[in-house]
Amino acid sequence: MRRNIGGGLLASACLGAIILAAVLAPWLAPLPPDLQEDVAGARYLPPLTRAQALRLSSDRVRVLTSLRATPAGWMGVRNGRREEFTASEVLGAPAPRFYLLGTDSLGRDLTSRLLFGTRHTLVITALSAILATFLGVAVGAVAGLGGRRWDDSLMRGVDVLRCMPRLLLVLVCASLFPPSTLLLVLILGATTWTGLARILRGQMRVLARSDLAAAARASGASPLRVALRHLLPQATPLLTVNAALRLADIILLESALSLLGIAAPPPAVSLGGVMASGSDALSGAWWIAAWPGLLIAGMVFALRSTGARFLRLPDPPSVA
Amino acid sequence: MMTAVPLLLGVLTLVFLLVQVAPGDPFRLEPAAGVSGSAQRTLRHAFDADRPLAARYLDWMKGFLVGDLGVSFTYRRPVSELIREAGTNTIVLAGLATLLQFLLGTAAGLAAAGSRRGWVDRFLTGLSSLAYSLPSFWLGMALVWLFSVRLGWLPVSQMHSVDAAEHSPVWRLVDFLRHLALPCLALTLPAAGGIALYVREEVRSQLGGAFVQAARARGIGEKAIVMRHSLRGALLPLVNLFGLALPGILGGSVVLEVLFAWPGMGRLAYQAVLAKDEPLVLGCAWVTSVLVVAGSLMADLMSSWVDPRAGEETA
Repeated sequence: MRRNIGGGLLASACLGAIILAAVLAPWLAPLPPDLQEDVAGARYLPPLTRAQALRLSSDRVRVLTSLRATPAGWMGVRNGRREEFTASEVLGAPAPRFYLLGTDSLGRDLTSRLLFGTRHTLVITALSAILATFLGVAVGAVAGLGGRRWDDSLMRGVDVLRCMPRLLLVLVCASLFPPSTLLLVLILGATTWTGLARILRGQMRVLARSDLAAAARASGASPLRVALRHLLPQATPLLTVNAALRLADIILLESALSLLGIAAPPPAVSLGGVMASGSDALSGAWWIAAWPGLLIAGMVFALRSTGARFLRLPDPPSVA
Repeated sequence: MMTAVPLLLGVLTLVFLLVQVAPGDPFRLEPAAGVSGSAQRTLRHAFDADRPLAARYLDWMKGFLVGDLGVSFTYRRPVSELIREAGTNTIVLAGLATLLQFLLGTAAGLAAAGSRRGWVDRFLTGLSSLAYSLPSFWLGMALVWLFSVRLGWLPVSQMHSVDAAEHSPVWRLVDFLRHLALPCLALTLPAAGGIALYVREEVRSQLGGAFVQAARARGIGEKAIVMRHSLRGALLPLVNLFGLALPGILGGSVVLEVLFAWPGMGRLAYQAVLAKDEPLVLGCAWVTSVLVVAGSLMADLMSSWVDPRAGEETA
């Protein structure tokens, strides 16, 4: 049964574009992602706002909309109020600001934050998925090929871990150590590998009895070589699809954890973090939460349909 | 069945150790006027927290047999009582949502599969894929924004209005349903999308089978083929999914319960962990683990009921 969730080529193209944007974030972002030029003046500006940043002689910056030159200096609207500055107060010419996606509660440009957030989220999820795949392959292969004793003890352990309340595991891990990106990767990776271990164990058990394994053994290959060079490569399609689906799940998990306050500390910015910060300002500034959510949905959709293109899955990952 | 007991024992032991390892001490009091240094010791003793690890572990294990889960540090009430209250609230929310997930998902999946790449199929598949990809709490926020902030039709959070006690029972019921609507919808839609895609794939793969060709050759209508012949084959994996969903019904969706301030199991467990309320954390973990084990057991039993061959394979 194919686990096709539509899309296809378009989804893969979307995914490529998102990854490209994340890689090029430092060059694409109009402003630094944590730049708070003028908290009072620039906060909660809706999408597509054009504004100007004035540098004052007191070295403060004022972000003003509908700025125009007056005989005395400059006049514009800041935070709903009209403000005037004499020419002597202002240093240099006003710098144009275009907030394509709006600004957040601290006057930071959301376009830049989302670009860097995508980058951070992709790095975190990729590292976590690599860790989860590594753990799942190691445990699954040893359990599937290592004989009855290894199989029993490892799979009982996996069963126990699968029955653990995941949130408890995550929260306790998070409270043990100071928050960091590394910790988040470890938590996300260490709590998402058990499904793969079970699937891989099943496949390895079948493969171990196949002619393929018998031929490799007959040609004198050591058990380790049989496992690494002959049997594990057979699982490549499975691993590819599983990695794509795992990435999608981890992106969703990361965003949920952000809402619960488990995230890499600032200045690191993730999509989930931006979205969680928007939940407080929902009534006034819908755009803070809206964009990261749509971006996450796009990434998850693209990853799942790209994964589905690769092969037929025996079952939904959680059941198998 | 025989593996369930040691499995539970293992899970509970691990949870117990995990909670011991976690840093922070719920009885460490800030020095303040009127609080003596011995207050900490007194409290610790009152809650039985000053006994050695092994003794507490044995006590705790014994507690499960007699149904005594201890007293919560923060609420100062029996844990079993707290869990019963929160569990009821969660069953209402998550139980209804799970029911809707499977009904909506199966219906949409069948309609899509029956339409065979027609526009109904395209529309439903697209919609399901979208719903399945959305983070559930983003959907929750979007619903709050639309129905509460913009339109003002439905309340933002909590289970009841503040003044609910002053009104008639009918008013209270309507009030409760209004509070239930948004979290329930946010919990239902993403999973329903996933189930719809899944049912569609299952039924379509069944439609390619020889028995479907035979049915067509006998002149059976297309609708009956989808509903009576293909759906039956797709039921087995669906039953498995349902077994896996069972822990969620009582374990609750933490994120949505936190977002909507719904006083259920997920929120209770979350707050318990944050407060390092040891008996409450352990109690919540106990309920969740029992449900996971029960869910997979139930899935096994239901599979052999739906398809007698499945029982032979697992035996």
